[in-house]
Amino acid sequence: MATDALKAQVRSKWQDAFKRINSNNPGITGLMAFSEVGHAVVHEETTQHLFSKQSWSHTLAFVKPINIKEDPPPKRADITTARRDFEVVNYCRRLPSDWCLDDDYMFSDEIRQKFYLVREDIDSYLSDYELSKDLSHISRLILRLKEWYDAWTPPEELGATIRNAFVLVFQTQLYSSLGPTFVKGFKDLIASTFPSSDPDIPSQTLDASTWVIFETLGFLDRYENIIASAGYEHIEAHVLEACAGQWETPMMDTLRTWMSEKVVPWLLLMYGRDANTTDEARALLSTIGSRFDFHVAKTLCDLRTREIFDIIVDYPDSAGALQDLKECLQRVDQRGALVKSLRKANRKRLLHPGAETRLILTQYVATIKCLRIVDPPGVLLFKVADPIRRERPDTIRCIVSNLVGDDDSGDSLVDESEPIVPLQQADTEDYTDPNWEPEPVDAGPDFRTNKPSDVISTLVSIYDSRDLFVKELQVLLAQRLLAITDDSTEKVEKERRNIEILKIRFGEAALQVCEVMLKDMTDSKRIDGHVQSQKASIVHPTIISRQFWPMLESSEIVMPGQFQILQDQYAKEFSTFKPDKRLRWLPHLGTVHLELQLEDRMLEVDVPPLEAAFIELFSEKNIRTIDELINAVGSVDKSAAFKALLAWVDLGVLKEDEPGTFRLLEVAEEAGPARDSSSRIAPTTEQDLAPVTSLQQQQAEQMKVYWKFIEGMLTNLGQLPLDRIQTMLRFAPGYDQTIEQLAGFMEAARREGLVGVKDGLWKLTPR
Amino acid sequence: MEQLTTSLTPRAPTNKTPVAGSSQQATGSVAKRLGNELMTLMMSSSPGISAFPKNDGNLFEWVGTIEGAPGTVYAGLTFRISISFPPNYPYVPPAIKFDTPCFHPNVDINSGGICLDILQDKWSAVYSVQTILLSLQSLLGEPNNASPLNTDAAAIWNNQDAFKTQLMRHYRPLKDESA
Repeated sequence: MATDALKAQVRSKWQDAFKRINSNNPGITGLMAFSEVGHAVVHEETTQHLFSKQSWSHTLAFVKPINIKEDPPPKRADITTARRDFEVVNYCRRLPSDWCLDDDYMFSDEIRQKFYLVREDIDSYLSDYELSKDLSHISRLILRLKEWYDAWTPPEELGATIRNAFVLVFQTQLYSSLGPTFVKGFKDLIASTFPSSDPDIPSQTLDASTWVIFETLGFLDRYENIIASAGYEHIEAHVLEACAGQWETPMMDTLRTWMSEKVVPWLLLMYGRDANTTDEARALLSTIGSRFDFHVAKTLCDLRTREIFDIIVDYPDSAGALQDLKECLQRVDQRGALVKSLRKANRKRLLHPGAETRLILTQYVATIKCLRIVDPPGVLLFKVADPIRRERPDTIRCIVSNLVGDDDSGDSLVDESEPIVPLQQADTEDYTDPNWEPEPVDAGPDFRTNKPSDVISTLVSIYDSRDLFVKELQVLLAQRLLAITDDSTEKVEKERRNIEILKIRFGEAALQVCEVMLKDMTDSKRIDGHVQSQKASIVHPTIISRQFWPMLESSEIVMPGQFQILQDQYAKEFSTFKPDKRLRWLPHLGTVHLELQLEDRMLEVDVPPLEAAFIELFSEKNIRTIDELINAVGSVDKSAAFKALLAWVDLGVLKEDEPGTFRLLEVAEEAGPARDSSSRIAPTTEQDLAPVTSLQQQQAEQMKVYWKFIEGMLTNLGQLPLDRIQTMLRFAPGYDQTIEQLAGFMEAARREGLVGVKDGLWKLTPR
Repeated sequence: MEQLTTSLTPRAPTNKTPVAGSSQQATGSVAKRLGNELMTLMMSSSPGISAFPKNDGNLFEWVGTIEGAPGTVYAGLTFRISISFPPNYPYVPPAIKFDTPCFHPNVDINSGGICLDILQDKWSAVYSVQTILLSLQSLLGEPNNASPLNTDAAAIWNNQDAFKTQLMRHYRPLKDESA
């Protein structure tokens, strides 16, 4: 039955045993040596056992954990005996017998049983610490632990095995006895070892030996996280203390210096203790160091992200902080957090109803400037800009009025020193450019690359089209030109200069209309000069080309009496001068200089045309009702009429005898409060109201045109879905509404009963 | 988007036109004229007449609507017509026909073809969609019985009651309004 397999098994067992006894010695020398020492062991099992047991008890007595509180230190004199005994035990261990292990356990048990001594100490120190919160208790505890450890460690001579076993058992016991109180205390202790940023407080520097103790007790491995987090917290505390609110200079370099001066030596104690040379230390520190450096960057980045709104407010005094932020963002991926934080801050602190659009814009310009430092491609800016352009409909007007210097407050959004450059076209990318770079990864799909450009370009670029700006500009220009009442060429010239500047930005073609408007102003003067030379008139109209001016507020006023005559005379002269043109008066714009000849006094005033018209009517009849007056001048809003009449009442010319009835005071009433005609400060109150229809009104007008188209297509094509209507509206000139706007418009039309919708198809309601 | 429109508009007619020399520019100007006519028509709001391009991107095919003038036998009836502009419009009149069957002395009841002088030899470039539609509207009430296309209709025109019966026998109301 002696199969090959069995033979092989026996052989391998033999080889195994031989190897174990012979160790790695050549030939059988190992075996010989073993026989010599453990002579009895090989041949006589009983002897071996006894002998070994004896050696073991000797050994055990030697390594037995002592109570250092009471026991005297063990005599080291018998170390030689012990070593010999231990060697025997050690040799025996090479035999595959179970009792050796048992004895090993005996040693471990011994430690376990005695560990209550250590535990007592731990508990007493920790309770002291808990009471006093004094870290010295912790450090004393650690020293004490070291004493226990030293006292119990088997001497080195006994070999590594027993030491390892001891370390393992001791540490297991130790860790299980150290509760959370110790962890906290330990962390505080570590934290206290950092050099304080305040030089007055002497830091409790632990010398290198303490670290050796930590290492011996295995704390460095076990509590590495705690040590690291103590380090992180220290860094955080320092960054917060040193950098919060300090925006003038970049802090990153200062922090790096601080790191290398204060933290790195500490790190060296902790992580670089095995290093002999600086190079070695550097290699050891490279990973942990970069982790700490990252943490510095992250903490600073977090701090600046929290502060970003105020940093922007402080710009340009906060340039340093922005440099830091830029540097940190390259190292830490916190861009999303920055955008989120800034958007949140903007929403909370900027875009609330109490904020003036001007202020918002100022802050927004600062945002542009700041984010341009932090993120030159402008992705962040684009993401932040979104809410601003959605929230405020009057932003464009604000920007435009700033562009033309329509600013009384003085400080302009635009940096005067910044050269005026043409607006950047959002042109397609030039892939042949050797310096071409792809869009940043976090750029959204609708991100438009704007190369670093001037503030105005960026402001304009956040809006989808610059046409809006040009339209608003026209409206504004119209207002300003019409507001020029006296023959001041300078004012027109000033506007011309503005337009010339804007031409550089928006391009010649876009501002052609403005050009025509300006030309109308000079032409008016020329024509007026000619007409006056033919037949002198006191009417000096501004003649404007209807096609090129924004829609003016229409009014049905018909000037009564002598005004009508004057207008007609002028119009006649004009038509002889320009036979192909016809004047259409807009009598509600402009001002009238009046001299009122009353029985006892003479008044000289500049008034809006409506007031002039009313007082003219009183020259025929002294008492008139308000309805009568309104009828006489055509249709006028009653409140406007009332306001005009009250202006005369204020001047002491009219008196409201009973509600709605006014009487001309040919003789000034003494009873009334004394009024000086010259005290009338602003006779042109009417002009506060913009004579030019605003962009929104214009849009409403536009929508009326579009409605005609919608009506046309629904009449002829039957019912249509919304998207079809949207595409068909392209036939309407200048249609620029989104489908959402159209949907809103159609919904409004439905509420008015003009259209109906069924299954997504719109159709006209039959009349 | 704008680019798309401008490139689409001229292409549609060039496919149709056999005229080799009709350049892009020429069709572009036709499209422009048609666009202007559409704008004028939309803003004029003449009662009872209307027209609109059939598809977006093609200004050369329109659909029109004519309501019978009040006081005529056609009062209260609505007729749909199709208008097809040639590429050399306005030098050549547009092709117009009734889509709704129209019992009328000058309208072919089957094909919808119309016998109207200004749509043939009397055409002039100063006419526009609006004038054509107005002419058609007045033609409904005042047929030219001298050159009838539909002789039956011309024969009974003087008997308005019989005419009305015949008219209503052929008339089909507009689809989406009956729905």
